[in-house]
Parts: sequence; structure tokens; C-alpha cells
Amino acid sequence: MEHVLTPLECLLPTGNLKYCLLILNQPLDRNHFHHLWSKEALGICSWFRSPERGFSCCMFTEILEEGLADIFRALLKACADGGANRLYDVTEGERESFLPEYISGDFDSIRPEVKEYYKVKGCELVSTPDQDYTDFTKCLQVLQKKIMGKDLQVDLIVTLGGLAGRFDQIMASVETLFHATTITPVPVIIIQADSLICLLQPGKHKLHVDTGFEGDWCGLVPVGHPCKQVTTTGLKWNLTNSVLMFGTLVSTSNTYDGSGVVTVETDHPLIWTMGIKDESRK
Amino acid sequence: MEHVLTPLECLLPTGNLKYCLLILNQPLDRNHFHHLWSKALLKACADGGANRLYDVTEGERESFLPEYISGDFDSIRPEVKEYYKVKGCELVSTPDQDYTDFTKCLQVLQKKIMEKDLQVDLIVTLGGLAGRFDQIMASVETLFHATTITPVPVIIIQADSLICLLQPGKHKLHVDTGFEGDWCGLVPVGHPCKQVTTTGLKWNLTNSVLMFGTLVSTSNTYDGSGVVTVETDHPLIWTMGIKDESRK
Repeated sequence: MEHVLTPLECLLPTGNLKYCLLILNQPLDRNHFHHLWSKEALGICSWFRSPERGFSCCMFTEILEEGLADIFRALLKACADGGANRLYDVTEGERESFLPEYISGDFDSIRPEVKEYYKVKGCELVSTPDQDYTDFTKCLQVLQKKIMGKDLQVDLIVTLGGLAGRFDQIMASVETLFHATTITPVPVIIIQADSLICLLQPGKHKLHVDTGFEGDWCGLVPVGHPCKQVTTTGLKWNLTNSVLMFGTLVSTSNTYDGSGVVTVETDHPLIWTMGIKDESRK
Repeated sequence: MEHVLTPLECLLPTGNLKYCLLILNQPLDRNHFHHLWSKALLKACADGGANRLYDVTEGERESFLPEYISGDFDSIRPEVKEYYKVKGCELVSTPDQDYTDFTKCLQVLQKKIMEKDLQVDLIVTLGGLAGRFDQIMASVETLFHATTITPVPVIIIQADSLICLLQPGKHKLHVDTGFEGDWCGLVPVGHPCKQVTTTGLKWNLTNSVLMFGTLVSTSNTYDGSGVVTVETDHPLIWTMGIKDESRK
């Protein structure tokens, strides 16, 4: 069975991808935030008005018309602890239009005034004190509970943040992608600045890389375990039953062959990583 | 045989640690930079690392000339390349596309260390832990290759993070320089570790498995003893926080 994914589909202004949004405690990229809550995409506005399109996605528009406000309350967006600080700061002046469904964590990073603000506005505060798991992992667990509780159809979980800052926390983000498969059946991607990562499970994958948002680099990283048999198509430097393994070969600074599709077959979990086009240069 | 390392020794204002400095193409932290430069035996830049050096040393560039700049030169700005060339810095072209600029810079460094018959305790690399995710991973990959390039231990520092690769065996890390931040971790990048034992951490391991998908030690910290020991059966990344200078 082949898994199909268009990693950057969530950045498309139109379409019917159903996704949830998690915000971690890293600088919030206005570019992505803007795209995911685009104000220019009238396509989004009209899409949200279609009652027959079910969604659990967390897109905000900065132009909120009355009808849309009601629809947005039904959406799932969340912050993991200090991620709420980031949301609070980035939405200054229009905070009421950008209220998360819930904020979860051990609350050792969220600023007191931020916590109070969202609490007063009716956002759920979910305390997850367990020190054996990161705020990100626990936020995913809460999200999955809510997805099930609301019986939502979700195609993708988009996480903003997690790929910069403390090295141990970057690695913890990768570790959460490994755990995600036991938490939720929904694929999880992580985006920060110009990088995206997701974890490809053993098997066959087809990645559509023709959204127009793709940057000029990509890679395959055997983070946790050597991959003895990796075969790809669609890359400039493809692999054929190759070994990918730290100390032997890691595919970085790779790029596309122009076909718009990348296929990856792997015998062990493999991190797919790719660049996102810098909006300011589009 | 136990390997002994004081990861942040290079930040100590005194002492006789003999180290070389490599600068990669990432924002150069002014905090560590001046001090690390002044006491380094050999200083080099990997391609765009020269841009970073050039910009950070504005007004006093002549006092901060690297021994060499290596790379495929697709990142270094033309005026930067010209400046250092005119000032007598060696430009070493390493066009091989199978290896990163960092890896090739290490190869050139090892050659020079041998040519000059230098005694070197450590190679300190600035940059490599931020920016493009594939390039962060490439930095880690270079640490794996480093063991076949040079016998000298290699550490990477950027912002408040340090990483180094602990080979299978026993290690004793001195973490009492005063520059240690409040977090540390052990990351089994590349291969599961079936038997890891530590002392000196808040959450120690005893013949434990460290493996992505099972357990990765992050947000760990110290027990106050000033010494961490790690015994591992597979290569293991040690990572630790560096105290933010501005808050000292």
C-alpha cells in the first residue's frame, strides 16, 4: 500500500485539505502563519462558507466576516505551552480573532498574562504535567482525544515550530514524530522557517512536490536506525536499494528532477525534509 | 579506555587547551567568538563562513584573518573572497559534491595539522546547528565522518547549544567550567543504543535502551557533581546548553 502525501498542501490558498494546527514555542513565522490564516485568499473565504465541506482545520483569516466567525469556533487549533506566547505576540491588535481551542502543557513557559488572557477568552487550558513526555507529544495526545470526541475527519496535523533553538529540543521534535504513530493515525508534519520535516514509515510513499511552494532542497535522513534498502524516484540524486545511515550516507542538499513527484521506498522509518520557498522572494 | 573531555573548556579564559577553530555559514555568536578566536591555533572558514567572519569583524578585520577558507565557493561573497585573498589567506577549492563544505574543511584542517606537526586537543566548530534542517543533519553526519578524517575530537557550538559525538565505550565529561547551561541530552542519532549507562545526570540511565521511538534523553540536567559519565554501545550524540553570556 502506497502512502500519498502532498507535504506543502496546507499552504495552498484553495483546496479541501482538512488539517489541525499545533503551535510550539518557537518564533512564529509570519509567512506561514499568514498562509495558513491567509487574508488574501478569497478562495479560503468562499471555501469556508461551503457548508458541505467538513473541516477540522485551523485556518484564520485576518478579515473575519461575521458568518465565518461562527465557523471558526468549530475549528481545532492548539498551542503547546509557550506556543501561546508566540501566538499572543504575533496576533497583537487582533487577538480575539485568533483564539486557540486549547493550550496544553506543564505551563512552565507560558507567560502569566498570556495564560490569563486566553483563559478569560474561553480557551481550554489542559494541564499535562507528565515529565516523561514533551509538551508537543502531550499536545498531540490531547488533540487526538478531541478529534475523536468531535468525530472529526482530519487529513493532516500541521505543527509550527520545533526545528530551531536548543538542539535537544529539535531532537525531541523528531522523537515526537516517532511517537505520533502510536498517538494518532493522522500524519504529522512540522514546519519552521524554510524547513519541513515528516516521518516516512517503512513502505512506499508518493510525495507530490508541485504545489509551487517547494524550495530548492530536500533530503532523507535515517535518524533513528540505519535504512538498508531505500529506493527513490523524482530526486536529482536518486537511491536504488541503497543504504542510508549516519556514518555512511545521509541524503542532504538533494533536489528535484522536475517531475513534480518523489517516490520513496524504505525498510525503516526515514525523515523526509524539504525546503519551503521564502515568501518574500516569490 | 575512558575518553575524557571537558566540552566547554574552550570557553575558559585561562588554560592551555590547544584547539583549532572552524567557522561555518551560520550567524556567528559574538559571545563566544572573540574569545575563541584569540586562543585558537588555527582558524578556518568553510565557504560562506567567511561572510559571517567578515561581517562580524567589521572595523577590525585585519585582526581576524583565517589561515584558510575552503569550499566550493558558491556561498562566499565575491568581495569577501577578494578581501581575504588580498590579505594572504589561503583559498582552498574543494569542489567535491559528495561531501559538505564542513567535511571538506575538516579534511584540509587535518592536512595542515599534520604538515605543521601541531599538537591539537580539540576542533571547535562554530555554526551548523540552525537553519535548514537538512544542513543541521549534515553537521551531525560530519561528526560521524570526522572519526575517519582526524583523531582529534570535534565539537560543534551554535547559540546556546553544543553537540559532540561519543564513540562506543566509556566517557567522562567534566561539566564544571561554569559555562554549562541548565540542560543536556543524549541522542541516539543513527543507530539504536542497546546499553547506555550514565552517572552525573538528574535522570540517569542504567543499561538502558536509547532509541528513536522508544527513549531519547532530552531536557535532562545535572546532579551537581560536576562530572557526567556515559558508557554506550553505539555512537551517541552528547548535547548540552551553554550559559547565555548576557545573563551571567
